[in-house]
Amino acid sequence: MSTLANQRGAAFLREVGRALTALVIALIVALIVIFVTSADPGKAFSTLASAPLSSNRTMGLWIDDVAKLTLTGLAFSLVFQARQFSMGVQGQVYVGGLFAAFVAMSPLGATPFAIPLGMLAGMLAGAVYGFVPGYAKARFGASEIVSSLMLNYIAILVVNYLIRAHLAPAGSGQLMTAKFPDAAIFPAIIPGTRFDLGIAIALVATVIVWFLLYRTNWGLKLRLVGHNPKFAEYAGIRASFVMVSAMTVAGSLGGLLGSVFVQGRAFGNLAQNFDGNLAFEGILIAIVARSRPLAVPFVALAYGYLRQGAQLMGIRTDVPTEMIAVVQAIIILLVASSFSLPGKALFKRLLGQSPASAASAEAAK
Amino acid sequence: MIELLMTVFSATFFVTVIRTTTPLLFATMGGLIADLSGALNVALEGMMLIAALTAVIVSVYAPWYVAVLSGMSAGALLGALMALFHLRFKADIILVGFAVNILAAGGTVFALSQATGGDKGTSINLQSKAIPALDLSLLQAIPGVGPLLKSLLSGHSLLSWLAVLTVIAVWFFLYRTPWGLWLRGVGEYPAAPEAAGIPVNKVRALSLIASGALVGIGGAQLAMFNYVGFTRDMTAGRGFIALGAVLLGARHPVGAMLAALLFGVFEALSIVMPNLFNWIPSELIQTIPFVVTILALVLFSYRAQRARQLRTLSKI
Amino acid sequence: MAAVLEAISIGKTYPGGTVANDGVNLSVAAGEVHAVVGENGAGKSTLMKILFGIEQPDKGELRLEGKPISFANPREAIDNGIGMVFQHFSLVPSFSVYENVVLGSEPRNGVRFDREKAIAQVRALSEKFRLHVDPLPAVGDLPVGQQQRVEILKALYRDARILILDEPTAVLAPQEVEELFVAVRALVEQGRTVIFIAHKLPEVLEISNRITVMRGGKTVGQVNTKDVTEDSLATMMVGREIALRVDRAAGRGDVACEIKALKITSDTGSTIAEDLNLQVHAGEILGLVGVEGNGQAELLEAVAGLRDVADGAIYLNGESLRPLSVIERRARGLASIPEDRLARGLAAGASIAENMVATRLADRRYVRHGLLDLNAIKANAQALIERFSIRAGGPAFAVGTLSGGNMQKVVVARELAEQPKLLLVNQPTRGVDLGATQFIWKSLTKARDGGAAVLLSSADLSELLALSDRLVVFYRGRIVAAFHNSDDLTPETLGTYMLGLNTQEPETMRAALQ
Repeated sequence: MSTLANQRGAAFLREVGRALTALVIALIVALIVIFVTSADPGKAFSTLASAPLSSNRTMGLWIDDVAKLTLTGLAFSLVFQARQFSMGVQGQVYVGGLFAAFVAMSPLGATPFAIPLGMLAGMLAGAVYGFVPGYAKARFGASEIVSSLMLNYIAILVVNYLIRAHLAPAGSGQLMTAKFPDAAIFPAIIPGTRFDLGIAIALVATVIVWFLLYRTNWGLKLRLVGHNPKFAEYAGIRASFVMVSAMTVAGSLGGLLGSVFVQGRAFGNLAQNFDGNLAFEGILIAIVARSRPLAVPFVALAYGYLRQGAQLMGIRTDVPTEMIAVVQAIIILLVASSFSLPGKALFKRLLGQSPASAASAEAAK
Repeated sequence: MIELLMTVFSATFFVTVIRTTTPLLFATMGGLIADLSGALNVALEGMMLIAALTAVIVSVYAPWYVAVLSGMSAGALLGALMALFHLRFKADIILVGFAVNILAAGGTVFALSQATGGDKGTSINLQSKAIPALDLSLLQAIPGVGPLLKSLLSGHSLLSWLAVLTVIAVWFFLYRTPWGLWLRGVGEYPAAPEAAGIPVNKVRALSLIASGALVGIGGAQLAMFNYVGFTRDMTAGRGFIALGAVLLGARHPVGAMLAALLFGVFEALSIVMPNLFNWIPSELIQTIPFVVTILALVLFSYRAQRARQLRTLSKI
Repeated sequence: MAAVLEAISIGKTYPGGTVANDGVNLSVAAGEVHAVVGENGAGKSTLMKILFGIEQPDKGELRLEGKPISFANPREAIDNGIGMVFQHFSLVPSFSVYENVVLGSEPRNGVRFDREKAIAQVRALSEKFRLHVDPLPAVGDLPVGQQQRVEILKALYRDARILILDEPTAVLAPQEVEELFVAVRALVEQGRTVIFIAHKLPEVLEISNRITVMRGGKTVGQVNTKDVTEDSLATMMVGREIALRVDRAAGRGDVACEIKALKITSDTGSTIAEDLNLQVHAGEILGLVGVEGNGQAELLEAVAGLRDVADGAIYLNGESLRPLSVIERRARGLASIPEDRLARGLAAGASIAENMVATRLADRRYVRHGLLDLNAIKANAQALIERFSIRAGGPAFAVGTLSGGNMQKVVVARELAEQPKLLLVNQPTRGVDLGATQFIWKSLTKARDGGAAVLLSSADLSELLALSDRLVVFYRGRIVAAFHNSDDLTPETLGTYMLGLNTQEPETMRAALQ
């Protein structure tokens, strides 16, 4: 049994090593980019590397990002474990945020039920929005990648329209709603910062997703479908049901993230284009975490730091925040490369394409 | 309603459709080549965006055709990058594609602000060039149909004509040359071309590069004709719509062209409709191409599913 | 006769430590049909892979027309006039015959692919070697025998002077084998050399001029075909080893599974199989005979619940299975060993424990209120690992980390963990080595002796004849003949029914269907 523990430990260390190597390489590239483009590269890089720790407020910003990145990372992890490439978290965030805002702006918004009901509304809306591409795939065979991406654009446009035409205070010309009542906004855990209920929600969600995946029948079925859908069918698992339900549950996580966005202290209202592309960064979190829910918050913690550093670098120095896209892309490319290796090798072995390994599997005929 | 019909059947609308379709068509052809070689290219969006910015920036300093070529090269380079990571380092093609998209979304804004000296929204203060339109006024001299022909055919981007040629060339390549046979064989059943001594990975890599080059031309058209200048996120999902068009076009160049044309028509509609129906909010009109893509995809997938069932049947 | 191709003292050890070839000698003369025979696992395939450049030998050398030569890859072997037809074909299904044949070496006209020329060349080759293949239809629509000839055409198109056929008859019905032999003879007449790998002796005796016998990775000897008999050859092949032998069922029990007037249609409604009537008794093995694609596989899928049934009934111990889901059927004692066990019977990325419980997710021992009982799941895996002597680090290890043979065992262990009442088996020993064959055959007979009714489908007639107590023959989705197994029953007899050349008297059939 101890060998098993050792093996697992070694595998864990190997993964951490890979992620850190990717991070270091990405940061070196970032350093070069900063060096080439900035008038004061030293300041830019030190801001990127240390600014999130500079004050309580910036630490709050960081933790707020961690909460949100955790939720989107969980949503992507769930669909990736089922081997689905649903890219719809962004759209789910928008409809989730919209429905949470409806609750907050209704008479219920001033009652103690505002927060749980807002979250629930967001989750339900997100679940419906996640269900659609899943159903389209299971029933009609429509590619979930394309349909979920299209739904993202539709959600953003519709929410933007509703804000502009109906939800923003009349005549204000603003592209956001009025502040929600206090009862509908998450309480701060540390007063005066964005360190609010969001992080607690994210951690609870992490445990729940882990439990669903590794302790329930549904989770085992989901993972088996992800590993090998043909086998799942043969074993009597209804792969299409598992697929659709995985996308629906992931949708509810996306919707929950929407509610965390609008009801969190960072906003406290519904604004146009509020997600700042954060939803998509869940792909990175999920890939680096290898779709393991318990690893998601840790990855989010590290990546959120980098993200916040980049934000502050954009504000305080001459290097734009968007430079971080280079770092993101490099991390995804490097981590995706290393972790798909064993899977591919095995796949080849099963097909008998790689002569050396096929031979060792079959010995000599 | 009558106004809408009149607009739709006017020559100006036709010209608009060709304009909106051209970038989509290049992207669709690029997506098609990658898809047929067995690699779903989800990075069309990001490739197009990067190519658009590259073309705009280069056009400030160089003639328009050099700018188009550099847009094309940028796309090809990204294709090579994808090939490297997918084929050499065995990364999942979809994840590699999204890495390119993420790089594009942020990287273009970063590069734009570098090029403009801080503007993160548009390239308005750059003197970028446009692709010339082909003036066919001489058609007017043809008796009878001359004026109509002129209004239909004159004033299109040179690249629109190139796009038509591209569709023919892609078709010819895929179905009339040995290399097209290789490419389709590699995509459908790689073991067969491999056994025949065809370098499978090289075919795939070249397909991804060609895919990127075609999308790159589309990006150049978008930022040097449809709009002159770069705006952040200006591709606005066109790459993903092109991906839908590949699937919708039954993975055949002519089908893909018709699908691209369909989406081009709806994009053109979303351009002309605000003038006709000012009571419909512009955001909702903008959703039309996306809604149409989903509906078309679902409808087509359903029919393809049934066709597949019919085919397997005839074998037994 | 001078040797055109020689292999001298070839040695090959695989990274896993398996010695596949050890001092192997082969000398093939020009213009002959040279058979290489041996049991599964004797090292034939490895030798052929070395001749074709897929594997490189650790020791020894190859000589082509007397000159030493080595092939780094198949391309070099092809360029030197060696062609190979594998058991698994490398054909693009949607491409036409001629496109598949010329792929990679197309006739050109400028940049154009010269289709007319390709069609003419393929047609000429097909006529010259009496292969009877139409160049135009898509390969995916052709029967297996024709696909095999497309593969032969591919090699001939590349000007192969030496053609290696790897177990070419394994996938064919006896009468298709005759057609193949016509083609092989035509090849030799035209001056080509054929290396024919097989383990079925009558075929070898019929087609070859000389035979090289392999056993346990070594060459036992080379003989002229006219000097040997089936018996003497078998003795050389098997040596002191004991051949696989199966004890027939001691006696059978009551009817366990009954299939009545079953009709199976495809999703679009056309008939795949109909009027299927079968009874399987507890403690007997019923063999399903037929060329692949005549409804046997679909019948097994329908019984397992993986495929909808259009009409008719399936009973297991008196209970109708039709309304039941896959999981419910399994709960009533149905087990199933699928054809492609590694691709369909396992989730390689999941742990051994998870794989072993995957078919029992409705069982209250492992799942209660939707929650997994991890201790029970682990204990189950631990017990099965011991019982079936699976070599693995523990229940938590991913199945993908096991060797091929142990992966096979995981599937068999899961399916036979509890004595099944009805066991469905499809192609149990396709592509597995001797050790695994032995293990699987033993497992099947053990399940039978424990009282399972077994439905066995296999493309290997000798396997069916070795294992089955009764056999039914499928042709175009119908049962056309039924037999009690006996020593008088030959593959040739079965073959005439498999191809629809013969029909059985209804009374005879009815008697054997009980």
